[in-house]
Amino acid sequence: MAGPLTRSLHSPRVLVALGMVLCVAFCAAFAGLVAPHDPSEQNLLSILTPPLWDAGADPHFLLGTDSLGRDVLSRLIFGARTAMIVAFAASTGAMVIGSILAHVSGYFGGVADWIIGRLVDIWMSFPPVILSLILMVGLGVGLDRVILAIVLVDWTRFCRVLRSEVMVVTRHDYVAAARLLGFTHWQTILREIVPATAPLLITLFSLEMAIAIVVEAILSFVGLGVGPDQVAWGQMIADARQNVYQSPWDLLLPILAIVFTVAAFNLLGDGLRRALDVRLAEAGH
Amino acid sequence: MLATVVKLIARRLLAAVPILLVVSALLFCVLRLLPVDPAAMSLPPTATIAQIEAKRREMGLDRPLPEQYAMWLKAALHGDFGRSIQFGRQAGGLVAASLPATIELAAAAMILAAILGFGGGLLLFHLRGTLFESIADLGSILLLSIPEFLWGLILLFVFGVVLHALPFTGEVSPNLPQPDITGFILLDSLLVGRFDVFLSACRHLILPAFALGLAFSPTIMRVLRSSLFDIYHEDYIQQARLRGLSETQILLRHALKNAILPTLTLAGVQFGILFSGTLLVEVIYSYPGMGNLMVDAVRNADLPLIQAIALTYCIVVLIINTLVDALHIVLNPKLRTH
Amino acid sequence: MAFKLRRRSFLQLATAAAASIGAMPSRAATSAAAKDSASIGWPNDVPSWDPNQRFTPDAQSIFKAVFDQPLGQSTTLKLTPALLKTWKLSEDALSMDVELRDDVTFHNGDKMTTEDFRYTFFERPKSGTKLDTANSWRKVQDIVIASPTRATMKFSSPAPTAPQWLAFLGSFVVPKKYMETGGLDNFLKKPIGSGPYKLAEYELNSRIVLERYDNYWGGKPKLERVTIEIIKDPSARVAAIQSGQVDFTINVPVREVQRFQKDPAFAAGLDPISRVILIQARNDLAFADKNVRLAAHHAINKVALSKAFYGAAAVPLSVLATPGTPGYIADYHFKYDPALAKQLLAKSKFGPNNPVKIGFATTNGQFPSDYDVARAIAQMWKEVGIEADLQVIDYAKYFELNRARKLPEATLYSWDNATGDPEIFLGYQLNPKMPFSPWKDQDIGNQVLALFNVADYKKRIAGYRALERYAVEQGASMPLLQSIVTDVRKRNLHYTKYNNGWVLPQTFHWV
Repeated sequence: MAGPLTRSLHSPRVLVALGMVLCVAFCAAFAGLVAPHDPSEQNLLSILTPPLWDAGADPHFLLGTDSLGRDVLSRLIFGARTAMIVAFAASTGAMVIGSILAHVSGYFGGVADWIIGRLVDIWMSFPPVILSLILMVGLGVGLDRVILAIVLVDWTRFCRVLRSEVMVVTRHDYVAAARLLGFTHWQTILREIVPATAPLLITLFSLEMAIAIVVEAILSFVGLGVGPDQVAWGQMIADARQNVYQSPWDLLLPILAIVFTVAAFNLLGDGLRRALDVRLAEAGH
Repeated sequence: MLATVVKLIARRLLAAVPILLVVSALLFCVLRLLPVDPAAMSLPPTATIAQIEAKRREMGLDRPLPEQYAMWLKAALHGDFGRSIQFGRQAGGLVAASLPATIELAAAAMILAAILGFGGGLLLFHLRGTLFESIADLGSILLLSIPEFLWGLILLFVFGVVLHALPFTGEVSPNLPQPDITGFILLDSLLVGRFDVFLSACRHLILPAFALGLAFSPTIMRVLRSSLFDIYHEDYIQQARLRGLSETQILLRHALKNAILPTLTLAGVQFGILFSGTLLVEVIYSYPGMGNLMVDAVRNADLPLIQAIALTYCIVVLIINTLVDALHIVLNPKLRTH
Repeated sequence: MAFKLRRRSFLQLATAAAASIGAMPSRAATSAAAKDSASIGWPNDVPSWDPNQRFTPDAQSIFKAVFDQPLGQSTTLKLTPALLKTWKLSEDALSMDVELRDDVTFHNGDKMTTEDFRYTFFERPKSGTKLDTANSWRKVQDIVIASPTRATMKFSSPAPTAPQWLAFLGSFVVPKKYMETGGLDNFLKKPIGSGPYKLAEYELNSRIVLERYDNYWGGKPKLERVTIEIIKDPSARVAAIQSGQVDFTINVPVREVQRFQKDPAFAAGLDPISRVILIQARNDLAFADKNVRLAAHHAINKVALSKAFYGAAAVPLSVLATPGTPGYIADYHFKYDPALAKQLLAKSKFGPNNPVKIGFATTNGQFPSDYDVARAIAQMWKEVGIEADLQVIDYAKYFELNRARKLPEATLYSWDNATGDPEIFLGYQLNPKMPFSPWKDQDIGNQVLALFNVADYKKRIAGYRALERYAVEQGASMPLLQSIVTDVRKRNLHYTKYNNGWVLPQTFHWV
């Protein structure tokens, strides 16, 4: 599987996308160093200053300040941290749960497959937005709750798509051969099936990162996301809506940040899909 | 064929019953996690502890959870979803009053998404092999990365705030009456012959419908394009070329006909997702539908109402999916014989 | 600002485009065609069409259009006759004689009599626990009817603020016959009152259409039809007035007011009202320590909050009463002094490096800039050594959390008192028997309870003024600012402003 992955690095699409992702990831990882200000520091004397390219800007605040006089640039950077933590943790969680169930279901078939299949059916009959809202209502706000909610909503995306892939791979001769060689079921799954489904898994993971970022933004936007002391893009948008006439950039900048990051992961997913030659119904998306 | 379709729909709806039961039970449990007491909340702040206890008994909140659920289910089957805490009215009635607006919005958005999606898909396909191919492709990925609530904000900002070109709050202009016969404002305004109301409702629908339509069209675009790609690899396209058909004829007579099926299936699945996507768009545009009611209910911890709305979303999505399946059968001759 | 320039050119473009296709109703056209009607962008729907059921200050203005109150208030909050021609509280405040007008009819034509008065203030409140009026009129023992226009209210204990309450929340006379024969559900569907407007059309959470009631006993409203659009989001309200979708709106962000004031097509105002923004304090947990409470209060720069979020129009308060009301103490000032706050904290072994940890709850969107104010206060506290864990709560859950003693040490809150009477400020706030405050201390509580039974007006007011100071010095009461109401209207639309923030549709007129 190292082969196709290295090969995918020759795709310009993947490279560009990786560059974009790394850019956001860098901001997230080194937010404390990159950001010029403390993102929560308020300056009640310089509220809603415009960004540098507009008249009346304060050179202290490159992208201006919000309604509490907080530095928008620093908040964008720290917002990237929140977004990336949520997206990475939630996607990993959803992937682990979803792919374990998918492998059990696709490999063993029978009763396990039936139960997991029904579970997926039930889950899928909840529209994702509604389910995540309901979960947040029940769980309460907070970074960990957002992650948990996304995991609980999105594991089905992995499970459904991977299951059929596992079923296909299971029918291959080399899987039967592995069993004949005396491999246990778990050994067979780990050594033969997982490597075969890995490209699909990686692609799905990248796409899930994009979805998780959007969901986090939506939840923070309606006030059911990370807590009030966390910096989040969705929260920035919700705050900026109140002042859209005086400082439109406060609204536009976090929107741009979300679109940039989501596009990066979608592009990466698309590039990987092509490079790794993964068949992926777009409907799951 | 009709019999097959009816049978299929019946079977699917029957299969939906246990799903809905589990879904409603799950909803019930999750909402009970909330650290609020529905009994206390439905009484005035001055109620005494004894009064709240009495109310708890009256509402059955002192019984074990499964029993509570059974009580709720029994009432729900009779159409009684409990009284909304904040409005003091039947939750079912509140949902019924706001559902038509959401359906109208979702339908308008779906039509737009289909038009934009098919148009865009053909354009993408048309550009294959040209210099613009990768640009258009990247463009479609960018479009794919803008969810409906961001479109909602962007369109509101550009066309409402900056250009003042279109209204962006409510369903019709405040100075016009709102006829209420079926609850569907577009239909009702025509029924009473008020074209001004109809026009106003259309103008109010434009921005929210576009916000949703734009968000859901890229997927349709990309599926149409990739199905067309697949089909052009089939032998019969080559044969058609050899028979001397023009590219346009091939597209219209052979390719599109076959590409439409997977695209429509996808569009159907999308419609289910789009329907719940109305929630945020309604909030952004103060559109008086179910989404707005839901967020209101969530803010006020109005458990009976949250439950009724969430269940309605699930039911509508289930119905949509069933209908899509039926449509699939109708359109696909191969499946019909089974 | 570059954006503004761009907007203007966009605007010209758009106007030109609209003129050419004739699709966009221009501002001038809408207002010229609609001289006998107006549309209002309003932040909240009524909680229910039963006006006695739930007390919400915002709904008061709408209720006052459809229903009538026994007493009215002048723009400066003096009580005025309304449904009642005269009212006389006995000296011991245990009974009150009232005389009802004889020319009042409900919207269905039924005449209003003292039967309806008794039904509203005695029979309904006593019939169950569902009504908020059950609490405000809990002392009513009976209402003795002498004639269709004369009655006497009997109280179980002194009710010195009974006249104020007749003009306050929930005190709307409802039609007994109509309610009893048709039932509550019918009333909720087709509510009728005796107010200047009839409810013509109602769509939940969306719009309320009022039509003039031609047989109104009082002055006839100038506008035939008033449409109230429910627009919850402040920025959407701004957009709606900007684009001409509505003629009037309230509670827009303060900075928007300043922008509209420069626009010749609009008039915009920023007015203090009889509503107080305060911090509700508990008397236990980390706030059991008086030093911490006082430090928390001294650390808040109220002037800076007013400047930053209320255009400096919100008056910083030192006692729990607004300027111009009887309980206000003009010469008492509670200092903003972060150094003193640090000293107080140091006495209790706390400091910026060893902060005292408290919980701090706030609403988000309940009143203008609430969330911003809370976040700014949390920052001010941090600087002196109080670390606040900020949490957003829903206003609807406040009472329940308080009853279960689950509120944190401090809660940002706003308290409306359209009457201006100190009992309904401090008296209600610190009354341990009422659900409003998390402060449950017996010392202050007993003093409040005693004041509730003082019948003499002067003695009562003096008592409250003394207690207000005492409560602040104990750290039990932390008033912050006088709340403001913002409004934006088309320049030629006029209405009467009340000091309590009422916006009455019956006072609207075009000039």
